[in-house]
Amino acid sequence: MIAFFIRRLVGGVVMLLVISAVTFLIFFGLPRAAGQSTDQLAARFAGKSPTAETITAIKERFGFDDPLAVQYGNFLKSIVAGDTYDTGVEKIDCPAPCLGYSFRTNQSVTEQIVDRFPITLSLVVGAAIIWLLAGVSIGVLSALKRGSLFDRAAMIVALAGVSLPIFFTGLLSLTFVVHAWELLPPVSYHSFMDNPFKWASALILPWVTLAFLYAAMYARLTRAGMLETMGEDYIRTARAKGLPERTVITRHALRASLTPVLTIFGLDVGLLFGGAILTEQTFSLKGLGNLALEGVIGSDLPVVLGTVVTLSLAVIVMNLVVDVMYGILDPRVRLS
Amino acid sequence: MAAPIEVSGSDAEAQPEAVLSGVDRKKIQGRSLGQIAWMRLKRDKVALTGGVTVILLILMAIFAPVIVKLFGHPPNEFHQELIDPTLGGPLEPRGGMSKEFLLGLEPGNGRDLFSRIVYGARVSLLVGFLATLIAMVIGTTLGVVAGYFGGWVDWVIARTMDVFLAFPLVMFAIAVVGVLPDSWLGLEGNGLRMAIVIFVIGFFSWPYMGRIVRGQTISLREREFVDAARSMGARSPSILFREILPNLVAPVLVYATLLILTNILFEAALSFLGVGINPPTPAWGSMLTQAIRSYQIAPYFVIIPGVAIFVTVMAFNLFGDGLRDALDPRTGR
Amino acid sequence: MRVRPKLMALSSGLVALSLGLAACGGGGDDGDGGDGAGYNAAIENIVNPSDKKGGTLRMAISSDIDSTDPGNMYYAWSTNFVRLYSRMLLTYPAKPGDEGRKPAPDLAEDLGTPSDDYKTWTYKLKRGQKYEDGTEIKAADIKYAVARTFDRSVLRSGPSYFADMLDAGDYEGPYKDKNLDNFKGVTTPDDYTVVFHLKRPFPEFNELVNFSGQTAPVPQDKDKGERYGLHPVSSGPYKWEGDYTPGKGGTLVPNDQWDPSDPHRKQLPAKIEMIAGLNAEELDNQLLKGDIHVDLAGSGVQDNARKTILTDDKLKEQADNPVGGFHWYLPINSEVVPNVECRKAMIWAADRDAIWRAYGGDVGGDLATSIMPPDVDGREKGTDYYTKAEKGYKGDVNKAKEALQACGKPEGFEVTMLYRSDRPKEQAVAVALQQSMGRVGIKLNLKGYPANTYVTDQFGSPEFNKKNNVAIGTFGWLSDWPTGYGYLWALTSSDAILPAGNINISMMKDKQIDDWWDQAYETEDPAERAKLYNQIDDRFRSEAYVLPGVYAKSLMFRPDSLKNVFFHKAFGMYNYSTLGVE
Repeated sequence: MIAFFIRRLVGGVVMLLVISAVTFLIFFGLPRAAGQSTDQLAARFAGKSPTAETITAIKERFGFDDPLAVQYGNFLKSIVAGDTYDTGVEKIDCPAPCLGYSFRTNQSVTEQIVDRFPITLSLVVGAAIIWLLAGVSIGVLSALKRGSLFDRAAMIVALAGVSLPIFFTGLLSLTFVVHAWELLPPVSYHSFMDNPFKWASALILPWVTLAFLYAAMYARLTRAGMLETMGEDYIRTARAKGLPERTVITRHALRASLTPVLTIFGLDVGLLFGGAILTEQTFSLKGLGNLALEGVIGSDLPVVLGTVVTLSLAVIVMNLVVDVMYGILDPRVRLS
Repeated sequence: MAAPIEVSGSDAEAQPEAVLSGVDRKKIQGRSLGQIAWMRLKRDKVALTGGVTVILLILMAIFAPVIVKLFGHPPNEFHQELIDPTLGGPLEPRGGMSKEFLLGLEPGNGRDLFSRIVYGARVSLLVGFLATLIAMVIGTTLGVVAGYFGGWVDWVIARTMDVFLAFPLVMFAIAVVGVLPDSWLGLEGNGLRMAIVIFVIGFFSWPYMGRIVRGQTISLREREFVDAARSMGARSPSILFREILPNLVAPVLVYATLLILTNILFEAALSFLGVGINPPTPAWGSMLTQAIRSYQIAPYFVIIPGVAIFVTVMAFNLFGDGLRDALDPRTGR
Repeated sequence: MRVRPKLMALSSGLVALSLGLAACGGGGDDGDGGDGAGYNAAIENIVNPSDKKGGTLRMAISSDIDSTDPGNMYYAWSTNFVRLYSRMLLTYPAKPGDEGRKPAPDLAEDLGTPSDDYKTWTYKLKRGQKYEDGTEIKAADIKYAVARTFDRSVLRSGPSYFADMLDAGDYEGPYKDKNLDNFKGVTTPDDYTVVFHLKRPFPEFNELVNFSGQTAPVPQDKDKGERYGLHPVSSGPYKWEGDYTPGKGGTLVPNDQWDPSDPHRKQLPAKIEMIAGLNAEELDNQLLKGDIHVDLAGSGVQDNARKTILTDDKLKEQADNPVGGFHWYLPINSEVVPNVECRKAMIWAADRDAIWRAYGGDVGGDLATSIMPPDVDGREKGTDYYTKAEKGYKGDVNKAKEALQACGKPEGFEVTMLYRSDRPKEQAVAVALQQSMGRVGIKLNLKGYPANTYVTDQFGSPEFNKKNNVAIGTFGWLSDWPTGYGYLWALTSSDAILPAGNINISMMKDKQIDDWWDQAYETEDPAERAKLYNQIDDRFRSEAYVLPGVYAKSLMFRPDSLKNVFFHKAFGMYNYSTLGVE
């Protein structure tokens, strides 16, 4: 078991290195390939119109004139061991993990990420719980009641759900539910620690809007999986054995059909940390996605780099979690 | 994405009808998978509606200049004489909808919404199709190679797909659009922007196709007819082309349809975030961003581009679903 | 001057009618905030006067502040906001009307005393004024505050008047030379006397000291350069609780070391929340509900809220539509478009009507003629060059084409236009100009940037403009102080050109204009100076360095829960230093 976990963990770390390397390549190699000089890159890195001295200082500091491999090595080193930045006026300590320093906002990237992480986390966790429960239940019911009015209505609504862009549904719900009909308080982030009720009531609208999209997907997914499983031989056998329908469904059919659903759930949740950007923009929530967008708009390369690496980390971690859970649940996986 | 499609090449050969109705021998032909699928599809009204809508949308995009010339005004032309200067809304009721302006006027500058929606279809469909094409080409090639050859080739490609799938997609698209310069490889301005958007979307969505194709190839590879071909001395390339690829057409087609709609939504998202095509070129996503700013003044302006996206995506969805059901009855309704 | 009410009565339809209705319907101020005090009530009066303490004042901005560092800010709203945690040598009185425009002593005992040649100005500091940590504020702190504005590579956003005017040799700022005694531009004969030494005579020096936060004392040992803004040390009624988080905001709490005899500020709310980065639409929605009390940008509500307010009588009673004092204009970069005929073509082709509509039509402002707005002392209306300040004027395509011929580009040319991405009205202006100039082949590529970096790093950076071929962009200016110097110098003098935070965006190095500026220094009579300023304004336009836009009127909203609200003429928006919420 431990060996399995360690193998997976090593795999995850390797993935993260690869992703960070590719990210690094895109941000530092691509502009060069497109003909930008290191001076221009340094200027972008400073995120503002710097003087000639600042550019030279940045180039030296980050080694832009060094080969890419060396630069990447430095980047990794600062993540692991921290770094110190000399702004010319004071020396700023950037403790490990140091994902970079934003000259535009005068804050370390890690600081900004840590600050915004709870918001995206709240958004993702809340929505995920809702969509998993809603989507799977509806999918199961639809499969069981295949062909009925419920099934057809549910599937049509689900189809509509995946066809509507989230920023559209989000805007409409915001306009009507919050502003026109005043059914809910304005959407904003309140700390869970301070007041869980406020936290939930101010986030319920983005949760539901986001969950609507995913629940639709999961309903269809679950339904398809259930239908396929229900047609399998062993289900017929179970029924023939005289087991009550409920046991047949929950113990056998559901379990089997949920496997692909859970795999995708893990991946979706991981990706949602980055994908929530649209929801964050629609509802003016200042999460990680919004941070990256601000970084791009403000040409703040360190922020964009740091955020992208962090978001990839989220996906890898979720994958790891799902893999480990399978390892625990299914011994065959462990031994493969 | 939904459960992978199970393609059973061998099942499709049964023809009980011929036996039962005593048809002339010449007309007894094995119905290929494609023909059976087409028959099933024809019977599926909902899917057909989707398909027809898709075709209409494509035609609308292709013939946009003609349509706009006949029924509307140039999409970037201002008509501020029809707009209230202080409040910003159209002076005429119902959003200014009339024979002149079929879908009304854009608040503020009075541009013809009908022609902007029609031209917006061009951007959405162009990006959707081209990006999917890129994804299809890369995904199918790599998926087949990985699935067929197995071993370390498979391992490398599969891990690469994992890496791509782990990238926060939208984030990356935004970042790449932001990082690249204003002119490159001979393109510039909106042309370059469009090319980058298409390339980024296509480049990052290939694993979805790749994964499916790889899975399909692996299961196909173990099938009897491949073994038979091999035992008859056929070499790998011919097996790939003659036996495997034809059986991949169906799932690739289905997933391409679904990928197109994902990419259309992706483009709309990028426009919405302000990193898509630059103004004044109309794009449905950026029209929505505009619409938020004037929903009090012109409520219809929020609905119209949203509905346009919805109808397009829904049409592809219905058609894609119908296609999938036609090719595999077990997940049917 | 009673010009304003007449101006409004003259404007067409809606505004005048509603003004009349509001006056008839009554609705005087109600200290407990029952009905709104009436449309435009806060322009000449203080609405909802109250001295009750307590509550949380919530102020929001849709982008971010340019800097919370009093020495590094330039936006009018920032210098308005900074008074909550900073006292300066001089500051504006917290009074509506013209009273609010005159410099008044703050940390200084009185206005500065000039020497006979107007080259030396002496200020006496009040004793016993303290920072938030109890340390007494001394003259050296003021000297240090002024010294640090000399290093443009560290503090890039603020005004540059001190660096330009003070006689300091080649002093480069305290970050390069830590010994403050080497800074000769300001001397401190004793702990409570600050003396400024100017290179040339300047009769308007009190106005200059007054308008910005650059004389707010900064303790040298706590200065962190650009990072000082994360936690400026307070000398005002409030201090920062923790740090300011860029992009998110911060919280201000009462500062018990503040001297309550300060006549320009009040310490009423128990807490002040400053929220940055709030989506503009959301901000308006929350403002209309009273969840947010103040839109810090002070430039008025967006299109949706404008419609809601103007069509709802109850909401209208809580709104004001003053002439803000801003001129939303568009400078044309003469380095990117060096040929004057090409620039004229741009101005000829521009659709003035669309610009006027983008800002809100009648409620948004009046079409501009001169660059100086009407409230600048001695300003003359001036001639329209290459355009017409007339309603419905959409530019002259033929004249534009003629000008293009004359400049050798009959097919037009392609350039970039900038605008502030978080200001929808500016985006609308950009799209309108793209459309109207496109008629003659001038292709504008639009690029939007956030307001808080726009002036420092993009439009206000000559290098950025050159590199990105930026020929024109949206901009706005409120006079630093209400004379022609305070309005036009930063825009037109070649001495004012800076590598970051540059306001002379047109990159004018016009000898004639520079000569007139030099003349102005020598001219003692204000009326004579005004004549020079008008000439400068005229040449600014006749040489096609600028596209005039709109003299702004902002439609501003004050929730009933906001107390002591009034329009401050010097800031062009509500005053922020005396607000309450109880």
